[in-house]
Amino acid sequence: MKIKRTWIINGEKLEAEVPPMRRFLDVLREDLQLKGTKEGCGEGECGACTVIVNGETVLSCLLAAGQVPDGATVTTVEGLEKTLGGKVLQAAYIEKGAAQCGFCIPGMIVSSYALLSRNPTTDAAQIREAHAGNICRCTGYDKIVEAIQSAAEQWPVEAKG
Amino acid sequence: MSTKTPTSFEEMDCAFPSSLAEALDLMADESTRGRPLAGGTDLMVQWESGVVNRPERSISVKGLPELMGISEAGDELVIGSGVTHMQLRSSDLVQKHVPSLAEAATTVGGFQIQTMGTVGGSVANASPAGDLAPSLLITEGRVVVANREREREIPVTEFWQGYRKIDLQPDELIIRFHLPKKSAESREYWRKLGPRRAQAISKVMGSCRGQVLDGQIQSFRVAIGSVAATCVRLTGIEEWLLNRPLNESTLAEVEKRVTEEVQPIDDIRSTADYRRWVTGRMVRGFLENWLEPA
Amino acid sequence: MTVQERGAYRVIGQGIPRLDAADKVSGKAEYADDFHVPDTWYGAVVRAPVACGKLKSLSRDPAFDWSQVAVVTPEDIPGNNIVDMMGRDMPFIAHDEIQYLGEPLALVAAPSLHVAKQAAAHFKVDVEERPALLTLQEMVAVYKEDPAKLHKLSGQTIRKGDAASALKDADIVLEREYTAGHQEQLYIEPQGMVAIPERDGTMFIHGSMQCPYYINPELCETLDIPPEKLRVKQSAVGGAFGGKEEFPTLIAGYCALLALKTKRPIKMIYDRNQDILYSTKRHPSWSHYRVGVMKDGTIRAIECDFVLDGGAYTTLSPVVMYRGILHAAMGYRCENVSIDGHVYRTNTFPNGAFRGFGAPQALWAWESLIDELAAACGMTPDAFRLKNCLHEGDVTPTGGLLRDSVGSPEVLEKTLERCQFAEKWQQCSRGKSGERLWYGIGLSFFAHGSGFTGDGEARMKSKVALDLETRADGTPIVNVRVSSTEMGQGTGTILPQVAADALGIDVTHVDYPMPDTFKVPDSGPTVASRTAMVVGSTIYSAGQKMKADLESFVSETLFDGQPTELVENQFRAEYDNRSIPFVEGAAAYLASHGPFRVYDQFKLPDYVKWDQENFVGDAYPAYAWGCNVAEVEVDTLTCEFRVTKVTAFFDIGRILNPVLAMGQVQGGLIQALGYAMMEKLAIKAGKYDADRMQTYVIPTSVDGPEMDLHFVEYPWDHCQPGAKGVGEAPMDGLAPAIANALEAASGVRLRDLPLTPERLFEELSRSQRLTA
Repeated sequence: MKIKRTWIINGEKLEAEVPPMRRFLDVLREDLQLKGTKEGCGEGECGACTVIVNGETVLSCLLAAGQVPDGATVTTVEGLEKTLGGKVLQAAYIEKGAAQCGFCIPGMIVSSYALLSRNPTTDAAQIREAHAGNICRCTGYDKIVEAIQSAAEQWPVEAKG
Repeated sequence: MSTKTPTSFEEMDCAFPSSLAEALDLMADESTRGRPLAGGTDLMVQWESGVVNRPERSISVKGLPELMGISEAGDELVIGSGVTHMQLRSSDLVQKHVPSLAEAATTVGGFQIQTMGTVGGSVANASPAGDLAPSLLITEGRVVVANREREREIPVTEFWQGYRKIDLQPDELIIRFHLPKKSAESREYWRKLGPRRAQAISKVMGSCRGQVLDGQIQSFRVAIGSVAATCVRLTGIEEWLLNRPLNESTLAEVEKRVTEEVQPIDDIRSTADYRRWVTGRMVRGFLENWLEPA
Repeated sequence: MTVQERGAYRVIGQGIPRLDAADKVSGKAEYADDFHVPDTWYGAVVRAPVACGKLKSLSRDPAFDWSQVAVVTPEDIPGNNIVDMMGRDMPFIAHDEIQYLGEPLALVAAPSLHVAKQAAAHFKVDVEERPALLTLQEMVAVYKEDPAKLHKLSGQTIRKGDAASALKDADIVLEREYTAGHQEQLYIEPQGMVAIPERDGTMFIHGSMQCPYYINPELCETLDIPPEKLRVKQSAVGGAFGGKEEFPTLIAGYCALLALKTKRPIKMIYDRNQDILYSTKRHPSWSHYRVGVMKDGTIRAIECDFVLDGGAYTTLSPVVMYRGILHAAMGYRCENVSIDGHVYRTNTFPNGAFRGFGAPQALWAWESLIDELAAACGMTPDAFRLKNCLHEGDVTPTGGLLRDSVGSPEVLEKTLERCQFAEKWQQCSRGKSGERLWYGIGLSFFAHGSGFTGDGEARMKSKVALDLETRADGTPIVNVRVSSTEMGQGTGTILPQVAADALGIDVTHVDYPMPDTFKVPDSGPTVASRTAMVVGSTIYSAGQKMKADLESFVSETLFDGQPTELVENQFRAEYDNRSIPFVEGAAAYLASHGPFRVYDQFKLPDYVKWDQENFVGDAYPAYAWGCNVAEVEVDTLTCEFRVTKVTAFFDIGRILNPVLAMGQVQGGLIQALGYAMMEKLAIKAGKYDADRMQTYVIPTSVDGPEMDLHFVEYPWDHCQPGAKGVGEAPMDGLAPAIANALEAASGVRLRDLPLTPERLFEELSRSQRLTA
């Protein structure tokens, strides 16, 4: 019971042969050794496992590997530094003190990247709504919002889409 | 199918049909049939936590082209069962013609759940706290289900038969929803009370659609979730309100009558007493909206 | 932000980015579940099916395939089957009496987690069930009837003056009860640990923890190994908040026992459900006060019963209760104080450390009561607090003298002014009928004892080291060697800042390697808001020592004996103005002497006097001070309410890094908001009902209020740089401020946490204030 899929993960073409219902999170972490993506709850509540599939944020703990279509483009936290927008976001998160323990951050910053790629907004309410599915227990969120606003101001034209 | 229950995701099989016809073919035969799996936002959690036994096989209906799309057909909106909450909330058609449904979709989970979860999945999950149910109920629309041989239409009001029980045969899939649009003169409202302001399962939530002319209630439908085994229409108060003047004495009576019409329970999210009271208050609040300009 | 004179510090006080930030935003930081150790097996726990009872037998299901499963039962424990915490009453694996649902009965390991979990589910457990005492409410009911019927885990009193007679003289006596429920830490990284048995007999524990030197020695007796054969190393920690203070000893022990049995590395990562069910929580509390005041607002006498639900075993509960009673009458002048603290056993997982450590429970009740007392005297809450609050030179309820660095009353005055409290207090709705929205404003004011309670720091004698070493790239580096962990709060950045400042170099030349008990001295556990103050000041003096030694080396070997100073990364000779960069001088030192370690040890000032038996004297060497104001809006249609704004000032002493300090305040306040308004655990059939993140809800990004937050800086005078700790104070005062604001809005007082629309509805119904 295995299926074959070819995905473009963080810009690299990868072939996988996996049980169809294996959680995509386990495929990323265990099979592909992309350990940046985290598991905080395993039930779609915390958002630490957020990745981008074909432009949309999804929870990889609730996603069956077979449901990630053949040819899908996947971005995980490891892929951010390969993009202009990702670098801007990382720098803003660092500068504003948006990360504390850091465990929610791989999912959080991936949500930020997806949001700003669609809509480089500095509107705090929009930013907060787009991150309501990413739970952080350390920061109280204010510095995360500040970081995203700061990244949006510098959002590279090339990354707008 | 054998009776062996898988104990992990890795032991589960899943088919990935590329068309609805193929999916219905698989569903037609007991040897190939499986649990339909759409966005997975409910089922994956239920399987992992053991609330629901893992089936040996699933059929992924996610993204099947025949289940996608939101369109108009005369006085109705036609919404595919594979439409996601994110598509629902972003749709101009839904925002215009069934606005409470668009608003309800914004309160389902966070963005990730909204991009994964589907209308069909939410309806099939049949939770009394399913956020879309009230807005579907007040449209008095129809659910279209199909097996390989035929389609079948069921009034939304009859689709949920009991706690997590739906009118769906083992060989059928939910295909689409036909939802009568609200008239230009009518309005819809939605409200959800939860333990926090986002990503919450409701304590009580509900939608209404109604029309008030010259201070008199012409029509009013209201459905409330999380106060019974299924989301419920409050037909008692709907009937009582017809042709009544919209004034303080009516509102006071509405509160009292609604409180008598629902029988909620105590659970982890709220208390029966509060739910009963606040349901009355919520229906009052809906009606009070007509006292303000649209 | 208001910051007073920062003095001559160069690196201290700078809001530099965290040293681990780049790893954390790129997914490179390695948490416990990210390690790859070859041949690892996975552990699981066989758990008791009842909350109280006697274990009659434990057997394996013969139908299950046990060939790939290792099992550890009490007979396999090499040493004593005991967890060496306070009370020494908790077995590692229950063998007879069962005291909580899910207590370990056996441990299993298998090559995959899936098989391990299956194996754990294939034990047959025969128990004789007994009635369990499960909730605070049940416990308090028995307490009121006859405390002797409860199993006491700890007790302590505070006596000052004569409260009983003074109460008789008071114009007004208020008697009130308040309760607070469990709170789960809900760090986003669940508990996780790896134990690796090494060839030389060393057991290597690597994982998510706050206190490496708890696990060693606490496991030595169980494993029957000497401390030098138990190595404990910290991984990146995805949040802790006290939840990884004492608990990790258990999971480390499970892993180590299985590793001894299998002679393989063992990994255990709890899933969220197990983590909530089988790890520590904040203690539920019941506070009962009788307080006498005079008509002019003078507090005449305070009597308080402070009772904690300890859960099944003693663990850290006595110290949590100590901190509770030390804060239960703190903040205000009163000559007659009588406090009785108790901890009793219930049949739940032992309750434990959580940010604030007893103070939030005590202050929840005390700061609510202060508002009630003010009202009873016909005074406003701000006037009553301004009249009674402690100033420099006043004494605490234990008779401790507030010698210096007292941020009171400044934090109180500044907060009141900043949020225009007096004016807004007049605008509060007070349950006025016919209004759709009710507005209320509420206040809390408090001190939080810095560092260990009582004689803790005197006994601990925190030890730190600085190592001058050579990096892989050949350049010199100063490594901070402490057991104080980085768990998100910023230790790994502020301590290098302090060291750099003391040395006169940039922080780029200082690093903070993850604590490893084979490399670091015991600077104590990372708890009690003590790291910045106690460990920070000790690092500072170690840095000064290292600086002096390096200066004299450079002076003698390179500058012909001229007086030499290391300033701004340069060794400078006094007479001929020669200078060389720090790295050059340090490299010369390393070439000549090899790696160089400087030790130092914390010493409490002699004036700190404490009688641990009678709780008399200086309970803490210093206090952080805080004032929180919450503004709330109640929707009278539904009784829902939200906090619209929080204004706060904190005196945390010297601010080491303003960005990180503000992050602690913001995050702590939002955690306190969750405690106040949404986080709750009920117990159904012995189990916490909210055992998943779907049901145990904490604030999201849209739940926080507007926050207007400030610092005032009253550095602790005893040593440099004079930080007083910021970790816990933000958790202390928001719940009572919100309850006070809710009363101002609605006219009813809620005395049980959490504050919910359901509770407000009940109280309003009872007082017939529900209106259209």
